[in-house]
Amino acid sequence: MADRDIAIIGYAETNIELRSGRSVYDLAGEAFAGALEHAGIDKSEIDGMAVNASFSDAGNPFYSPVLSAYLGLELDWCQTTDLGGGSVTGNIARAAAAIRSGLCKTVVSIAADAQSTENHGNIHAFRSEFQYPVGVMGPPGYFGLLSKRYDAQYGLDPMALGKLAVTQRNHALLNDKACEKLRRPLTVEEYLKSPMIADPIRMLDCVMVCDGASAVIVTSTGHARELGAKRMIHPIGYGERVNYNETDPTPDITAVGHTAAGRKALRQAGMSVRDVQMFHPYDDFLIAIVLQLEQLGFCEIGKGCAYVMEHDFSHTGDLPLNTGGGQISAGQAGLAGGGHNLVEAVRQLFGEGGPRQVRNRSNAMVTGIGWIPYGRNWGSSTVMLLEAN
Amino acid sequence: MTTTTDALAGQRPVPVPLNFSKPFWDGAKQGKLMLQYCPVAKKYQFYPRPVSVYTGKRNLEWRQASGKGTVYTFTITHRPPAPFKNVPPYVVATIELEEKVRVISNVVNCAPEEVRIGMPVRVVWTKIGDEMTFPLFEPDR
Repeated sequence: MADRDIAIIGYAETNIELRSGRSVYDLAGEAFAGALEHAGIDKSEIDGMAVNASFSDAGNPFYSPVLSAYLGLELDWCQTTDLGGGSVTGNIARAAAAIRSGLCKTVVSIAADAQSTENHGNIHAFRSEFQYPVGVMGPPGYFGLLSKRYDAQYGLDPMALGKLAVTQRNHALLNDKACEKLRRPLTVEEYLKSPMIADPIRMLDCVMVCDGASAVIVTSTGHARELGAKRMIHPIGYGERVNYNETDPTPDITAVGHTAAGRKALRQAGMSVRDVQMFHPYDDFLIAIVLQLEQLGFCEIGKGCAYVMEHDFSHTGDLPLNTGGGQISAGQAGLAGGGHNLVEAVRQLFGEGGPRQVRNRSNAMVTGIGWIPYGRNWGSSTVMLLEAN
Repeated sequence: MTTTTDALAGQRPVPVPLNFSKPFWDGAKQGKLMLQYCPVAKKYQFYPRPVSVYTGKRNLEWRQASGKGTVYTFTITHRPPAPFKNVPPYVVATIELEEKVRVISNVVNCAPEEVRIGMPVRVVWTKIGDEMTFPLFEPDR
């Protein structure tokens, strides 16, 4: 990837809305049309499509061809990726592989879900057998278990989590696509007072599940030039780790797959983590940001909260972080939520951040987190490095 | 088999076993905590799988665990998920068994605020519906 042979030439994102009443196909259609327009290319150029598995049409075993039909696409390659929040970065890498291997030339990678309107998700396996009977409160319950253990090992500073909450909320105030309900100023005191739902997880540690979609257009750099692309950015490194430490029956659950995925992505890009100019970490829970800062090497293991207190993550700060508000403050568009983090990074690299544009915009790190395994932390970890042309 | 006071009693969804878990649920009915054991790696695994997670082979054995362990981590749930209704705060814990596997369950027969990481616990069984018996844990005082 480091030879900049793959280019992202356009993007779009819908408003993120709570219970929009819209179909996932409508949201995907809006993002698709927007990305074509932004890239300035004709629909007929698209010969590949990748999409995340959604909650909204979860029972559909033919999801990506059905979505393609709704969009009027005749394709040489399409696929659904079910890495949850890692699907979006994962699909850029899959699109790059498909393009390089000659399966197709130009891919639209779509992230769409309307989970707060329609949810057909039905996850059985070990969950029906061993998890549901004990009343684990879904992801907040699992992040409660993780947070408690982290606190015992290293000390969890609620002030640091509150600072992250406020920083991201301030970014959402500058993002008119963020969920309207969340576009209210927030203070650290309000974060600290928010009710415990799965102690030590507070209400404001969690994302609010919403509806939304985003799309990016991916092609080869050579073809991007032929298409007369006005602007482009390049994915220059990618790492993915599914089921980290799976064969260790008693792992340290504060160690996550981003350690491995990050190392691989940085090595591919020929970069050190110190070179990262902005960070768009997947943020289903605030503590996930702290763990990623540690596991990606921004700071020492166990020092994530101190690192948060020492740095300025605002769009004008020394490490701009989730400058669109992140999912915590813009809303989580179901399993398409990672598209928010990705598209914000792409937008910033294109220099189209408007009132929240960061100053140093030559590269960005974007991450993904997907699915919750039994008794661990999270199942899918992705890390992507993007570079401005 | 010990009966127990249990905040979630009567509301627990009935577990839906996979076919290869049968020895676990058969053991549970007799108050025996059964675990899969890989004779090659000489390690246990939980939850039940179709193969050894260590070797990929299907030569797994079932062995009875001691039922004793410690609390690896826990959370006090204030907002229970569906289908639970009107239950007081309860403890969901990851229990590390003596056999070096972890089980997610509830710690019962003590107040939530008494639970600590590292606390010794032992298995105690509860009925779910007419057919199923499920392992919970209580302080091993």
